[in-house]
Amino acid sequence: MELLQYTLRKLIGGIPLILGVTFISFILMVYYGPDQTFELLGKNATAEQIAEVRAELGYDRPFFVRYGEYLKELATLDFGLSNSTGEPVNAMLARTIPVSLELVTPGFILGNLLGVLLALVAAYHRGRWIDKAIMGFAVVGMSISFLIVIIAFQILLSSSYGLNLFPVRGWNVHSLYSYVMYVTVPTLASVFVALGYNTRFYRAVLVEEMTRDHVRTARAFGISPAKLLYKHILKNSAIPIITRVMFSIPLVVVSGSLLMESYFGIPGVGKVTFDAITSGDQPVLKAVVGLPAVLFVVTLLVTDLLYRVVDPRVSLM
Amino acid sequence: MSAALSDHRESIWGKAFYKFRHDRMGMLGLAVVLLYFIAALGVWLGVWGTGWADVDGPKWAPMSGEYWFGTNIIGEDIFQRSIYSTKTAFEIGLVVAVLSTILGALLGALAGFFSGRWIDAIVLWLMGVLDSIPFYLFVAAVAFALQGNPWAMHVAMVSTFWTTTGRLVRGEVIKLRNFEFVEAARAIGVPQFTIVFRHIIPNTFHILLVQATIVFVAAIKSEVILSFLGLGVQDGVSWGLMISESTLEVLAGFFNNFIAASALLFVLVMAFNMFSDSLQDALDPKKVAAS
Repeated sequence: MELLQYTLRKLIGGIPLILGVTFISFILMVYYGPDQTFELLGKNATAEQIAEVRAELGYDRPFFVRYGEYLKELATLDFGLSNSTGEPVNAMLARTIPVSLELVTPGFILGNLLGVLLALVAAYHRGRWIDKAIMGFAVVGMSISFLIVIIAFQILLSSSYGLNLFPVRGWNVHSLYSYVMYVTVPTLASVFVALGYNTRFYRAVLVEEMTRDHVRTARAFGISPAKLLYKHILKNSAIPIITRVMFSIPLVVVSGSLLMESYFGIPGVGKVTFDAITSGDQPVLKAVVGLPAVLFVVTLLVTDLLYRVVDPRVSLM
Repeated sequence: MSAALSDHRESIWGKAFYKFRHDRMGMLGLAVVLLYFIAALGVWLGVWGTGWADVDGPKWAPMSGEYWFGTNIIGEDIFQRSIYSTKTAFEIGLVVAVLSTILGALLGALAGFFSGRWIDAIVLWLMGVLDSIPFYLFVAAVAFALQGNPWAMHVAMVSTFWTTTGRLVRGEVIKLRNFEFVEAARAIGVPQFTIVFRHIIPNTFHILLVQATIVFVAAIKSEVILSFLGLGVQDGVSWGLMISESTLEVLAGFFNNFIAASALLFVLVMAFNMFSDSLQDALDPKKVAAS
């Protein structure tokens, strides 16, 4: 009961955020976005035809009426049909979101797991050469552009100038084997890019925890390094780690996959979004901008609940 | 008082400067950044890199005395283009770093000073909203709202990159606000806005300097991806445009464009990261006090 109250209060508290995101996005993408009137009309359209199309697209109605309709669509999750393809928006999302998730999930998990592992090694050997080597590689990783990494991996792994093991681009997945073939190069690239930032962040968190008195006491009691690292350090660092992982989820799902999808020509939700912005496909835009905002608020809530799970000292107030 | 002022090593800046001078990685980073800056300045003054748009060579010429890095698909000199791009990178980095730092300092300081009041609530709300709009979508939307204006990329970066600086400054100001010097200023009747601008913001400069270097790096890295997506540099040339040009060339086995632009970008970003790290170490008040 207490949990339910807390959940409801958090969700209501997220409403201003959703309103803000949808309002700014609405102004930028829908109100000032590309005008589709003349793309839908043939040559030599009459004034009546123009007015008719504009009415159909909703361009002639006042700003706040259109914004209000948008909020209603968001609340009922019914965004209508895409202007460009005539496909229902919900069907488009149902087709493309799984592709994006399949694309980014392995890289996201590996990038964070390896980041924590390397950070543990570096923090445990703080100040020694192994720490310096890992942190040196982290700075190098942070300094290489994502695009360069993608191109370099493509040359090395999927072109005739390198090992030529994987398909160059595309997404023709129908079995586990083909999934592995198509997902490997993007995954390696995103792990490489994420690792530098993640390792540095996690190392800072772990070092902070390692210098605490309770760790010194545990050491003095002769506890084994594995137990010390897991039980005393990693568990106590769980909150900043969870925060980072959770908050990168909404951004990875949308922004992170956009670059890989447009580079490798993968039909995911990032590509759909980008095309919708450049063509001014309003129904699609409304969905892909509004839904991440909702996802963000839900993430905030789930993160708070996770804090409670990993740390009993946190109270839900 | 005057004795303390004359001995610079007593102040946080004097100590930080002393510490930074003895940090070899940081000094190396700074030296490389300055070298790039001279290259950019030369382009800006028209000393070199003037022939970046001349189409006078053969297609995909190899490296030679005439074309140091070879030529691209339409016969432009890749060396000239990569040198000219240094100027583009500094233009983007400096504009975005300076403007977003100013914006972050102002809004962060106001929110911190008036924390708990409506002005703080609005700034916090704005930060939350801007942070939860996916960055590339935001840039794309700004680019179209501004109808292909070449500054759309800068506007979008400034309006999203200030939030981190703003949050850090807000936190610091909440701490500073309760110090005696602020109380003293208030007691003698200094107006609130003067307190914020004259007494509080100058005390956050160490945060602003480090944040500015971080934003600089973020801006030139984002430029590469935005230019590839067609949302970045509109006129002129940049490393991002060169790399996106090269995406078709590398599959045909011509790597000069890709290697030249990537290597120059990597070395600059790496040097800036090293500089930024040392600056952070030198300016960390806890570490300065301990040494």
